Amino acid sequence: MKFDTAMTISTVSLERTMMVDMKKVTALLQDVVSPSRVTDRDFDLIPYSRDLSPAEQKMPTHVVMPETKEEIQAILRIANDHEYPVYLRGGGTSHWDAYLPQEPGIMLDLGRMNKVLEINERDLVASVQPNCTWAKLDRELRKKGLTYLCSEAGGPAMTVGGSVMKAGGGPHSTAKFGFHGNQDIIALEMVLPNGDIVETGSAAWPSAGKFKRQCLGPDLAGMFIGAEGILGVCTELSLRIRPVTDISERLTATMKTLDDVIEFGHFINRHVGDEYMQGIYLWVDPSAPDVFFLMMDIFGYEQEIVDHRKKKIIEKIKELGGEIGDRAPADDYFGRILTGLADLFNTGVWHFFGAGSLRIDDITFLYKVWREEVIQKRGYTKAGFGGQILPRDWLAFMVTNYREPDDWKELVKMADEIDEITLNGPVVPYGIGGRDGLRRFVAERDTGYYRLLKTLKKTLDPKNILQRGIFIPEEEL
Amino acid sequence: MRIEQYKDMIYACGRCEFCRGFDYNDRCPEIFTQHWESSTARGRMAIARAILEGNLEYSEDLAERIFGCFMCGRCREECKKAAQIDVIEITKAMRQDFVEQGVQIPEAGANMAATVTSSGNIFADPPKEHNRWAKELEFKEGSGTLFYPGCLASHRFKEKTNILVRLLQAAGYRLDFLGDDQKCCGTPYWVTGKMENAKEYAEAYLKKLQSRRVKEIITPCPSCFRAFDEEYPHLLGMEKLPIRIRHTSEVLLEIIDQKKLNFKYPVNKKITYHDPCEIGRYRDIYDPPRAILNSIPGIEFTEMSRNREHAFCCGGGGGCKIMFPDYSQRVADERIRDFVETEAELLTTICPACEMNLTHGFYEADLDTRVLDIAEIMAVSAGLVDSEILESDYFPED
Repeated sequence: MKFDTAMTISTVSLERTMMVDMKKVTALLQDVVSPSRVTDRDFDLIPYSRDLSPAEQKMPTHVVMPETKEEIQAILRIANDHEYPVYLRGGGTSHWDAYLPQEPGIMLDLGRMNKVLEINERDLVASVQPNCTWAKLDRELRKKGLTYLCSEAGGPAMTVGGSVMKAGGGPHSTAKFGFHGNQDIIALEMVLPNGDIVETGSAAWPSAGKFKRQCLGPDLAGMFIGAEGILGVCTELSLRIRPVTDISERLTATMKTLDDVIEFGHFINRHVGDEYMQGIYLWVDPSAPDVFFLMMDIFGYEQEIVDHRKKKIIEKIKELGGEIGDRAPADDYFGRILTGLADLFNTGVWHFFGAGSLRIDDITFLYKVWREEVIQKRGYTKAGFGGQILPRDWLAFMVTNYREPDDWKELVKMADEIDEITLNGPVVPYGIGGRDGLRRFVAERDTGYYRLLKTLKKTLDPKNILQRGIFIPEEEL
Repeated sequence: MRIEQYKDMIYACGRCEFCRGFDYNDRCPEIFTQHWESSTARGRMAIARAILEGNLEYSEDLAERIFGCFMCGRCREECKKAAQIDVIEITKAMRQDFVEQGVQIPEAGANMAATVTSSGNIFADPPKEHNRWAKELEFKEGSGTLFYPGCLASHRFKEKTNILVRLLQAAGYRLDFLGDDQKCCGTPYWVTGKMENAKEYAEAYLKKLQSRRVKEIITPCPSCFRAFDEEYPHLLGMEKLPIRIRHTSEVLLEIIDQKKLNFKYPVNKKITYHDPCEIGRYRDIYDPPRAILNSIPGIEFTEMSRNREHAFCCGGGGGCKIMFPDYSQRVADERIRDFVETEAELLTTICPACEMNLTHGFYEADLDTRVLDIAEIMAVSAGLVDSEILESDYFPED
């Protein structure tokens, strides 16, 4: 292998890696899973060295495909014995370097832990293994007239485990249900870095079942959701499901000002928010930065109710001076982004930046950064601006396509500068990730939250073997 | 390196992993058999990029990942929606790089190409064996319409090929046949990357066809069809070959549409259809076989869950049948599971390679049914062949 790993990791880490007997690690891993599910061959490692983000390439030393939690326990035991890091791979579609090996280490490819374990139609709970994709789960649920509703962009390849472990949300999230961090995640089964197995929610009580998120003491599921795998390996998730909605309507509108969009957002929040409506989705194209295009799906179980909501929405849009438009562009957009990713990469690889959660009123801040800093000051006219209300806040972003390798350096520099500006404002980062993600912004702030997170990490993972360098730089521990 | 010409495509991979699909077993037969991400199109683009950047070299171990691709085009189909990467052309270029850099490729693949060069067909059969299917059939030399069965139809499916020709002739097609002069179309060269003689081979073949005044080729084999229709013009720097190339799917539909035969005998069977990758995803030929089956009286047609552009490979593609027979068998088993789900009585298709791999799969699974070419169904309905060939206990002599 010709990769110069020393270029991307610290000297201490490199020395420690060099002290590890790679062949011995390979043999030990082959002992606990079958040899056919362990590889240390360079060409097998390379595909695990990048994700959907422009993060620098980072090579693991081994890839292992576990099939059971017991195998994961055994792998973590080996990692602890050798103080050797373990990284996690779901669909490999992280946008911010959250699942790439920040140091040479063992990559767990969870691809074979992809089953729908149970669909409990009585309690309306589905249990899946982490690498089950949203699309696979939904396909199985719909056979029974059920659905999960809340899923995110990224296409059907996105896995449930990867998505929940980073508290994902997106254009398929709904006004009522929002992010995965909401109560729709009922129970998790996690293998801790020390090999202990933890079940959360009602599943924590050995003689009960999987039916409720918050019932025994603190909500430990909430501790794991969004932790990007640094506190444990998720081996099973139980989700709240519901009957499919029979009635749906799709609307588009064009608003004259961003203030009108904000007012409309509050209207949705107050009057429609606690209903089955997908959060309004805003898109501003760089070629027309004063045109605020909204897309929205309304869905429900009764035509009368859907009609009523639709009427109220149309009235409000008209009151605000907006114009109801043709639904075809929205069909095209949602069709592409949710079910096909069609044409998304025609003009280059995708990257989100300047992204995060913010109050409905604060969208003007992010818009101003996009317009003034990205378009006007830097002359970068390829990035669009968008977001959605989920329902009480925005998940907003800037997104562009760029050509690798030619545009990569310029893109990364620009995105980094914009992230700096954005996160100094009222924006909470959507994902954290590794050294090419946003972890430095978290560390710089040294908040009580961050200190507690570090304490938890040190307690649960004293040798820092799991997702080392993700979220928390190693030197911070 | 051959992959240099695809640099833009290789870098265009957005790493969305849509090529892999909802599940590890629903789209790509290579990840279904080899499991690692290096078996997906995304993985292959990462490998190609590493090679382009000088971080990885072609190696004998890597060959399993690159030559273990079934070239079914399922990932390319998905990528049409994302970055439009021609994974198949890049895979072929990588295979050629292996050969040109002197890196060991799977022995069976190398032997297959060498056998074509030395014997003129992939089975190294003598011409007498090669023509046995044509016994008692009459051909019109110089008719301008060449029937070109290809290696598999000539050597392994003699009865099916005989029935096909009888059907075509009964419908009025005046067919020429090369007889002892017939050689392989050359597909093993580009499938194994052994391209050193490919251009000369195509040149000589075209010359031979032109000297025989061939104006049109009719072939049941999707690989031969694409060889003449796509690879030859590419190799010879032509926009189009000066010969019309037609796959039997088109010709058989013509027989139906133009009522060239009377299909009066009902085929009272529940039948499903397997889309061959090389006419389906490669050439968008999905409707003609279905239109044929739906026009035959008595047939209850049913689709497999994965059909048309979503069809799962039979396991016979990309040279894997020869280079990686175990993988090939495993993929056939998976495709046969789709068939079993339909509860159909017969599996039909229109590709000798698919017919062979799925027939082997049926033997392996000990299934009480048959894989038939669409032409055989038509021949039964037209009264040209006894309906006994539809029955599970029928065993052809070949």
